[in-house]
Amino acid sequence: MIKFENVSKVYPENFVALDNVNLTIESGEFVSVVGQSGAGKSTLLKLISAEEQPSEGVVYFNERPLSSIKKRLLPYFRRNIGTVFQDFKLLPKKTVFENVAYALEVFGETNENIAEKVPEILDIVGMTDKMEKYPHQLSGGEKQKISLARALVCNPQVILADEPSGNLDPDSTWDITQLLLKINGLGTTIVLATHNKEMVDKIEKRVIRLENGKIVSDEIKGRY
Amino acid sequence: MKWLKLVRTFKEGMTNFYRNGWLTFATVSILATSLYIISVTVVLGLTANLIIVSLQDKINVSVYFNPGVEESKIIEIKDKLADYEEIKSVDYISKDKALEDLLALSSNTEMINKALEEIGENPLPASIVIRANNPEQYEQIVRSVEDSYFKEDISSVNYIENKKTIDRLSEIVLMSRKIGLIFGLAFVVIGILITFNAIRITMYSHKQEFEVMRLVGASNLYIRMPFVFEGVFYGLVAGVLTMILLFGTSYFISPLTNGSIPQGNLLSFYFSNFFWILGATMLTGVLLGVISGFIAIKRYLKI
Repeated sequence: MIKFENVSKVYPENFVALDNVNLTIESGEFVSVVGQSGAGKSTLLKLISAEEQPSEGVVYFNERPLSSIKKRLLPYFRRNIGTVFQDFKLLPKKTVFENVAYALEVFGETNENIAEKVPEILDIVGMTDKMEKYPHQLSGGEKQKISLARALVCNPQVILADEPSGNLDPDSTWDITQLLLKINGLGTTIVLATHNKEMVDKIEKRVIRLENGKIVSDEIKGRY
Repeated sequence: MKWLKLVRTFKEGMTNFYRNGWLTFATVSILATSLYIISVTVVLGLTANLIIVSLQDKINVSVYFNPGVEESKIIEIKDKLADYEEIKSVDYISKDKALEDLLALSSNTEMINKALEEIGENPLPASIVIRANNPEQYEQIVRSVEDSYFKEDISSVNYIENKKTIDRLSEIVLMSRKIGLIFGLAFVVIGILITFNAIRITMYSHKQEFEVMRLVGASNLYIRMPFVFEGVFYGLVAGVLTMILLFGTSYFISPLTNGSIPQGNLLSFYFSNFFWILGATMLTGVLLGVISGFIAIKRYLKI
């Protein structure tokens, strides 16, 4: 489903973020990408969502090279991908409901469908009672659940989670981990970038370790 | 689907407009201030022009004739003068008319009547009143009158007395046109720059949101449209606000302008052109809002 072929990414001033990476992720997998800060985890995720283009090599999504997608059409491609960030990236002037609904609105989804789907998804992440709240009225863990709900609501094929536990306390981290596993259980591919040891150890799925932009280990049932 | 998105982005723009309370207030005030400055400049320019035109109409040169000159000859001269391009109008004022005017102007008609009885005849000379198209042309007109075939019939031309006034007035006319144009342009440019910056700052505050919107798959147009509508709302509200400010200004300044413009005063000028002014301010506001928004947002959509 996702395939990296000899991919390198060099940022200006010759900073090598990824160095000749080869990697295949199959549909339905749960992949944890671990490594120190600056090892290239975020870059790897950004290459999948086509926020960055590789300096060398090709990234394929469903057998299609991402570099072949016209810039104008990138937003449409991104609808296949749900993204979760360390800093949540919720829209501050929108309520919980509106934040999740926004991802459907940009699709042109009908109002009836939105009114139906959003509460459904909020129910999955357990946030139905916070529907009318604004992001600043929520805790970090709650915000992350909303951001996860927003990523989920369009039925994406892949969820990219970049340090989702970065700003969370252990309890919330545990909640989010559970949720990610639950979503994966429903068939969605998940790529998780983290340096949270406990989280990775609890997941007990494939672990890819990056060091200085290179893959140093790739285990099917790995630990941190 | 297109319609649905249009309605959505419109609503979104409206929500942005009222949920961003403080920012909206700041942007609208700045936009209204600029519009106010621009429209005051334009209105001042227009009324100054009207005042100048009506003042120019009041300047004239009178040519007085010797007592013995026949009325028919004066009328013949008058008709000839009226043919000149530089001359806007020539009016004949007979001896009787001159007396009538004097009596009408004077508050002490009794005294005048008594004096006339003493003299036994009307001592006022017949005259023609010449108005030029352009104040700068009086000099030339007077010269040619004083040099004409009927120069023997003329007793006096009151040009020299009027000359100072005429000169000053034409100076003022020229100066005020120049100054008005320079200041007007400067204010308009300042207004546009201020508005542009205010809206740029507004867009900057949305910067993070653009990123988020793109990442959840919104197209550039879908991100942009609400801000275009927001710009429209800024323009409309600022336009209405400007109209209120303009009304206040004309209300207070109005008494000073009584009678100096054809519409009577500034307030009636305001009302007789209400829809023009409203339309122009709103249109300017909307254009300023939308164009600055469009340019400002562009740099944040380059992912």
